[in-house]
Amino acid sequence: MLYVVLFFLLFSLLLYVLLGGADFGAGIVELFSSAKNREQTKDTIYRVMGPIWEANHIWLIIMLVILWVAFPAYFNIMIIYLHIPLTLVLLGITLRGVAFVFRHYDAVVDGSQFWYNWLFRIGSFVTPVFLGMSFGTLIGGKIIITEDYENYGFYDLFMQHWLNIFSLLVGLFYAALCAFLASTLLIGEADGKARKHYVKNSAFFTSVLVGLGFILISFGYLNNVKFIKDFIHNPVSLACVALSGVLLIPLWKAIKKEYRIASRYLAISQVILILFAALYAHFPYIIITSDKEVSLLENLAPDATISNLAIMLLIGGFIILPGLFHLMRSFNMIKVLEKPQKNNSK
Amino acid sequence: MENLDYARLQMAFTLGFHIIFACIGMVMPFFMVLSHHKWLKTRDPIYKRLTMAWLKGVAIFFVTGAVSGTALSFELGMLWPEFMKHAGPIIGMPFSLEGAAFFVEAIALGFYLYGWNKLPEKFHWFTGIIIGISGVASGILVVSANGWMNAPSGFDYINGEFTNIDPVAALLNPAWFTQALHMTLAAFVATSFGVAGVHAFQIFRKRNVELNTKAFKIAIVFGAIAAFLQPLSGDLSAKDVAERQPVKLAAMEAHYETKKGAPLYIGGIVDEENRTVSHKIEIPKALSFLAFGDFDAEVKGLNDFPDDELPPVAIVHYAFQIMVGIGTLLIFAGLIYFISLKKKNWLHSKYYWLLFIIVAPLGFVAVEAGWVVTEVGRQPWIIHQIMRTEEAVTPMPGMKYSFFFYLFLYTVLGLTVTWLMNRQIKSLNQTKD
Repeated sequence: MLYVVLFFLLFSLLLYVLLGGADFGAGIVELFSSAKNREQTKDTIYRVMGPIWEANHIWLIIMLVILWVAFPAYFNIMIIYLHIPLTLVLLGITLRGVAFVFRHYDAVVDGSQFWYNWLFRIGSFVTPVFLGMSFGTLIGGKIIITEDYENYGFYDLFMQHWLNIFSLLVGLFYAALCAFLASTLLIGEADGKARKHYVKNSAFFTSVLVGLGFILISFGYLNNVKFIKDFIHNPVSLACVALSGVLLIPLWKAIKKEYRIASRYLAISQVILILFAALYAHFPYIIITSDKEVSLLENLAPDATISNLAIMLLIGGFIILPGLFHLMRSFNMIKVLEKPQKNNSK
Repeated sequence: MENLDYARLQMAFTLGFHIIFACIGMVMPFFMVLSHHKWLKTRDPIYKRLTMAWLKGVAIFFVTGAVSGTALSFELGMLWPEFMKHAGPIIGMPFSLEGAAFFVEAIALGFYLYGWNKLPEKFHWFTGIIIGISGVASGILVVSANGWMNAPSGFDYINGEFTNIDPVAALLNPAWFTQALHMTLAAFVATSFGVAGVHAFQIFRKRNVELNTKAFKIAIVFGAIAAFLQPLSGDLSAKDVAERQPVKLAAMEAHYETKKGAPLYIGGIVDEENRTVSHKIEIPKALSFLAFGDFDAEVKGLNDFPDDELPPVAIVHYAFQIMVGIGTLLIFAGLIYFISLKKKNWLHSKYYWLLFIIVAPLGFVAVEAGWVVTEVGRQPWIIHQIMRTEEAVTPMPGMKYSFFFYLFLYTVLGLTVTWLMNRQIKSLNQTKD
């Protein structure tokens, strides 16, 4: 039963990174587009992401619930020491979420659109950065777990482990990953000039992603970050990275030739490879503190809880996944561009 | 104030904020699908316009409820890590089911919002029903988790360790049914009177009277019926609290002296230091009857509980009075609506509409007051008789700043949503048939 729970935890993580990531990425693409392309991108995002964006973010809540129910000791450390970066993530999720809805459902289209748009774009950029920073904090080896609040200051215990260059690099890497995913996805959702635009974007963000990945690993290696060192010395993880490097070639070709489906699947496989490589090297020790490694599987919830959760997840999965699949299929087939709000404004 | 106090304030404020949007998100879909149904049946374009207007409202309220709910699911751990460490594995079931229900709701909302003219009409309408049902299910499940904090069950507590965990027993804790029933009805009362009041205001100002009257009629029925049922559910809740949390009941009634045939106090000013209540209306033996169904039953007073297990009495008593007072008032408002079905000329009186404008926000005030009763009334415990709130709080200092951060963020968000609703109504009134 534990494996069922672990499967759903990793499955939710993967879907959140993919779907939530594409959602954040869409905002980043909009942020980095020229003013001329922004309107176009905004409409495309509304059409493609609109029906599923709410569902995309529920994977985060599912992950959170699985963590606190089945892995309480691990969750306890994570939630105490990530208090500040996670609060920033929440701020971002709140602002970009409401801005996305407000800009499409405000009854009057006027100057306030300016604020919704910029909140959405900037929120879409900083939220994955803070999410990535939170993950970077877990694996960065700087968390100090102590009960001795006399000798350590607020900064030592609650700031320095997330506010550092390594975490920031992980954050930027994740944001680039989101933008890469979204722009590759959008290739398949646009025609003509707009598609050319996303092809350019996709190529740009792929380069940024590869560059940042290289900087991240070099920086971690030079600064003796244990996670990166173990990652580099793990043959399976290295093989995954090598494979994702090789797969870059067909991906580039697919992007250049504007193959909608192939580029999409190749982009997804890149993400799966990167995620797998990162987790495999250290699983289940996903928290690395200044002096020890904390396993996800330490002090698990009792068996009764794990079995119950597994059954709930299976039942939930059977209800949700077909519905979600149907939702995506229903709206992916709709190819007519629409401009929904402007007609209703007056 | 200490870190703990700010953590509690933040929890109270964010929960209080979320609950408003959660109620609206639970109940408004029902109005929407009813209006949608009338449109499909009569093809009267007014119903289509009303449905579209409510749909925009639902989208805006839903997203605000969803993001503040996401924040809450993090806050539970951020503010109360020791609570979640022990309680998480026990009350995982309502939360995992709630996650599933919320997911279904989001999927259905995706279909409903984006499915106009794209999906088969009946299927599209049906997805609207799913939004409502899964919303109510989410609400019930979350309240069940709260019920567990009041009536901890499904485990053995031996030497400070939680063993023998039974998640199903924790889900079906003794408080879940009475609390969930009371909250679901309250959501219907508050949202119905709120929405009806907004439309009553438009009728009062003679704006788009035909559409607003139709909207008022759809909304008010739910609330009027729920308001009549609420006292029955309240009675079940009171008897349940009397049995399992006698100290909470005593605080609700500001009942200090243990007595047989205890009187019920209405109103009154509580002096916590001298343990007296002045300026109250006293109904002899009524408390004994309401709590135990027997006029001569003994009701344990606050003086007979250990001092360090008493909740803040005044707040709980006042909140309880507010909740019950508003509940009673809304029953009368519901009654007036039902009478107006016979006496149709009332609909032309501006005082009729004025009444519904005045009572519009009261349901939400009652909901907040009710949560103050149940949460403050449980103090100093976070898990009744098992874990104190002070043992659960985060070791991170500086909760003061965190509280002010949320206060600012949610105040701005609340004002923005109000402003957006105002724009929705204005643009609805400007549309011509």
